[in-house]
Amino acid sequence: MSAETQARVGAARVGIGGPVGSGKTALIERLIPAFAARNVSLAIVTNDLVTAEDAERIRRSGLIDPTRVAAVEAGACPHTVIREDPTLNIAAADELEMRFPDVELILIESGGDNLASTFSLDLVDWWMFVIDVAGGDDIPRKNGPGVLKCDLLVINKTDLAPHVGVDLVRMEAEAAATRRGRPMALTNCRKVEGIDAVADRIMADVLFR
Amino acid sequence: MLQVNTILGARTDPGLHERLHRLEHRHAVEVVTIALGDLDRRRLLARTEKGEEIAIALPRDQKLFDGAVLMMEDARAIVVRAGEQRWLRLSPASSRAALELGYHAGNLHWRVRFDGNDLLVSLDGPAKNYAARIEPLIKGGHVSMSETTE
Ligand SMILES: Nc1nc2c(ncn2[C@@H]2O[C@H](COP(=O)(O)OP(=O)(O)OP(=O)(O)O)[C@@H](O)[C@H]2O)c(=O)[nH]1
Ligand SMILES: [Mg+2]
Repeated sequence: MSAETQARVGAARVGIGGPVGSGKTALIERLIPAFAARNVSLAIVTNDLVTAEDAERIRRSGLIDPTRVAAVEAGACPHTVIREDPTLNIAAADELEMRFPDVELILIESGGDNLASTFSLDLVDWWMFVIDVAGGDDIPRKNGPGVLKCDLLVINKTDLAPHVGVDLVRMEAEAAATRRGRPMALTNCRKVEGIDAVADRIMADVLFR
Repeated sequence: MLQVNTILGARTDPGLHERLHRLEHRHAVEVVTIALGDLDRRRLLARTEKGEEIAIALPRDQKLFDGAVLMMEDARAIVVRAGEQRWLRLSPASSRAALELGYHAGNLHWRVRFDGNDLLVSLDGPAKNYAARIEPLIKGGHVSMSETTE
């Protein structure tokens, strides 16, 4: 096959993993307008155990054309469909690209899982792991593969630090140490803080813009 | 920034080998080293040995590999070199320790090879992060470890 007849380069695919309730869907809801402002054509895949709860929430948000949001039902084991056998998610992303040929970026939210969950690079080009301040400042110290291996560690719910007795500066320093300097971001999805930094990193590292 | 959107072939391909060889004589083949863990990515930024940044974005059915030719012009070519694979050699002191080690390695989804009575674990990060997962075995002297590169 010559270079000319080869398949076109598809949309970038970015994974969003992390424990249950850390704010993955909230981050997507904040990233949608951030990418709109950067003229990036977006689509979304969500994973839930047995419902399409997160997809419905994003569709209803009015932030994005609801037909650009696809839902994958992961069954009992959320990490299986993003790591061992990501076929369902690949098919969902492929279909979005077919229906919307202009799509440049597909965000894929994993179902909430434990600290060991990681994404297959057959499914995504790059992935972030969202933990939250209220989950405890010891999370970064626990050397979970999700925290260690992700391309961007997002520490969300910074607004809650004073309420749960977390020293944010220390939590950030410990996370930086376990990650040996690899990228991190602090976000507050309630107040839209730190979202631009996440969007800009995806622009630079994945979309090369 | 140089954009690469397809892999032209392998450096050993008959159609590419000759031209690469000629360019090599003129020191015009540039190498871009890509860490093993990054070879599976369809999109990444990389830097050639000469310091030029390249933005790689490949179709889903293509994958980087050691010796992949990313660019070929009359004056120069760019070829991928895969980074080193580091292995953690784990030597169980007894068959009992070996059983337990094998059980943990499977549970942890480690990529492994077998070498005689030893288990080789492919490393994608500091060895101590792996050792920490089987600390009781190591602390108790049931498994000893050493690191190798290939
Ligand atoms: N205070 C505060 N609350 C947040 C923030 N981000 C998310 N939340 C709240 O945290 C809860 C969980 O957020 P989600 O976005 O549903 O979390 P998720 O990670 O998508 O959850 P699952 O998909 O169920 O794993 C919701 O009640 C959010 O409103 C934040 O930055 N600050
Ligand atoms: Mg969610």
